[in-house]
Amino acid sequence: MMIKGMIKKRAVPATAVLLFFLVYPVMAFGASAVKGKHITSVYTYKVGEDIKRLKHPQGVGCSDTSLFIVADTENELFVQYELRDGQVKTVADFKQRQVSRPTKVLINSKGDIYTLDGKKRRIVKLSSDGQFIDYIVPKGLPSPESYVPKSFALDRSDNIYVLDIFSKRVLVLSPEAEFQKQIEFPKDHGYFSDVSVNFKGDILLLDSTKARVLYATKHEVSFSPLTESLREYLRYPTNVTTDSRGRIYLVDRNGYQIVVLGQDGSFLAYATGAGWKEGLLRYPSQVCLNTKGELFVADTDNNRVQIFQLIQ
Amino acid sequence: MKRILITELNKRVITKIMRIQVTGKQDLGPSTPWTLGPFLIIIALLIFVTPSYSENKFKLKEGANAKLCVDCHETLQKTLESSFVHFPVENGECSTCHNPHTSDHGKLLSDDVNALCRKCHEDVLPEEARSIHKVVAEGNCVGCHDPHASDNQFVLLKKGNDLCFECHKDIGDFVARVEYKHDPVEKKKGCLTCHNVHASRDFNFLLKKDAPSLCTQCHRTGERKFAERHMNYPVGDSRCTSCHNAHGSNTRKIIFDGAHEPVVKRECDKCHEGPLSQTPLKAVKDGIELCRECHKETIDKIFRKAQVHWPLVDSTACMHCHNPHAARQKNLMKGTMVNVCGECHPDKVALQQISIKNPENKTICKPVKEGNCVDCHSSPHSSDSQLFIAEESMSFGTCNKCHEWRSHSTHPIGDEVIDPRNENLIVECLSCHRAGGTGNKPKMLHYGSTYILCIQCHTGYRK
Repeated sequence: MMIKGMIKKRAVPATAVLLFFLVYPVMAFGASAVKGKHITSVYTYKVGEDIKRLKHPQGVGCSDTSLFIVADTENELFVQYELRDGQVKTVADFKQRQVSRPTKVLINSKGDIYTLDGKKRRIVKLSSDGQFIDYIVPKGLPSPESYVPKSFALDRSDNIYVLDIFSKRVLVLSPEAEFQKQIEFPKDHGYFSDVSVNFKGDILLLDSTKARVLYATKHEVSFSPLTESLREYLRYPTNVTTDSRGRIYLVDRNGYQIVVLGQDGSFLAYATGAGWKEGLLRYPSQVCLNTKGELFVADTDNNRVQIFQLIQ
Repeated sequence: MKRILITELNKRVITKIMRIQVTGKQDLGPSTPWTLGPFLIIIALLIFVTPSYSENKFKLKEGANAKLCVDCHETLQKTLESSFVHFPVENGECSTCHNPHTSDHGKLLSDDVNALCRKCHEDVLPEEARSIHKVVAEGNCVGCHDPHASDNQFVLLKKGNDLCFECHKDIGDFVARVEYKHDPVEKKKGCLTCHNVHASRDFNFLLKKDAPSLCTQCHRTGERKFAERHMNYPVGDSRCTSCHNAHGSNTRKIIFDGAHEPVVKRECDKCHEGPLSQTPLKAVKDGIELCRECHKETIDKIFRKAQVHWPLVDSTACMHCHNPHAARQKNLMKGTMVNVCGECHPDKVALQQISIKNPENKTICKPVKEGNCVDCHSSPHSSDSQLFIAEESMSFGTCNKCHEWRSHSTHPIGDEVIDPRNENLIVECLSCHRAGGTGNKPKMLHYGSTYILCIQCHTGYRK
């Protein structure tokens, strides 16, 4: 009885202390500023003994390995690099006739490369060594003739989310491109540039002209606004991605910066700044984040890719 | 209490009288000697029973009103002979509007002119107006009305459309020039047939109603003739002004000049399903495929370029920017460049607007100043270069169209000059300037001053 009482007396403060130590860091983490510490910038790639220069790269895809891939848009090819100890080394470059103008690029859990061909407006799947696998043509799609992909995203299970601007919908496809479901655009919208999916499977939709993010949870069939207009913080967002904690990273193309939002859409920080020097951006196109907290940015008008370490 | 009531009633009646004076007989409605007579008797009684509404605040001697003023302001006497005299003037109540001694306002007015008019004419503007005549919003009542008297109804400075065309000269010239005129513009009440003069509570452009309701007040859409003229398409509820210019045109049936060819040729079925179809107004094809039917060569050329403007490939396609029937702007553009481009690029237009409105910003590119986006982005549908320019390079191609960059300054510039800030860039126009405007920054520079700009590269000169 006495022991029980003693335990009971101590249990309350112990729980409180435990809760404090568990919850406080999470709360603090959520509210803290996120900054990108510049690691390195990539300007060139090696082809044999020759050094070639990146030209308007619009895509960068990364994974939890040390490899990352760049869509060197104006040169119409891909370059695979390895990042080790802050040093970048060219692994390979490959040009595929099936891809005229590579823009957005993503890597799935198996290392396969997905890219959007900006000229032909189709999604192309390549193997990790750059071999053409297939075009992503949705199977079993309602009104397949009215399909124009503007952007796409992959989730952890390699499901494919396609922003179909012709039929004003987001398509959810299986890894084999079989149609799963579609969510129509809301009635009141501007111009949608990008789609993303977070660790919970919620779909994020980026409205560039209205400068806001919309979302639909995994089981919802319509989009709702996650944020009001973010014009106060940015100018023209064109790319959206999330990290493993659900924080949202927006590429503000015309504002030359990366804007970080909390999971609830509240503004947290600017991860980078605008300019020409290393660590600064001009007309960035895509960001990619891996679980190591490395942030890769296709710094398009600066003709380079920059890599940052995210710090709290 | 009785006196207060009488005074209040008196004020209302006086307001009514002022309206009669200002508007002539218009506002009296179906007045006849039977109704007008007793009404005037009541007015006269009220005026004599209660003190003057303007309380003789300057303690003028009896009979001194106006007479005193006219002694010096001799022209007033002639003014009083006009057909329409503002009520206070006619009654010699000069001090209703003027302070005879001193004033902080011009012409010894006792208040700001806008506030002064509103004291009596407070109901000129609806509480929430969709559109307000600029001159009214600015409180410039005397821009249209003579505050004393005039030979025109409503003490207007000029008669009918002549007054409107004083400011809207372009419309006046256009209306005079065009071959086919819309009757109400020249006859009937002129501009006021369709437009309210002060404000419109519910509609843009001061319109009394929106199209087609406004148009159907005169044009009967249910008649067979109407259907025949519209190739039997059910357009009675469609927006007439998407094809017809309400002010007039050089094209028959006042169809907009430069209208889309199928509209002029009345070939609606080139784009729409047949008039007997269940969905007659539906387009025969979706998106750009509809336009490709006639503009195949142009569209094929567009799609051969490396980057196509994304709006072109969605279901709205060309109609994001162009009106498929007719438009006031060239090339069937839906509006001015700033308006059309600004629909999707509001951030760019906002920056351009700040740039041109800043009085300090004297050096600014002409296309930015004029809002002609396509002067630089001259290949707006598609391009092999960045930013939808027709040339290979913005700096050495596009800027070079107006600026001789080699003689711009002694600063090294060109393909051989590497930007010290970034080894993958050369020094070019855009290294220092932002072509779309930089808001409050001078000379369209990226930075607030030339010094700050220069020390970005010339770090040794930093203070």
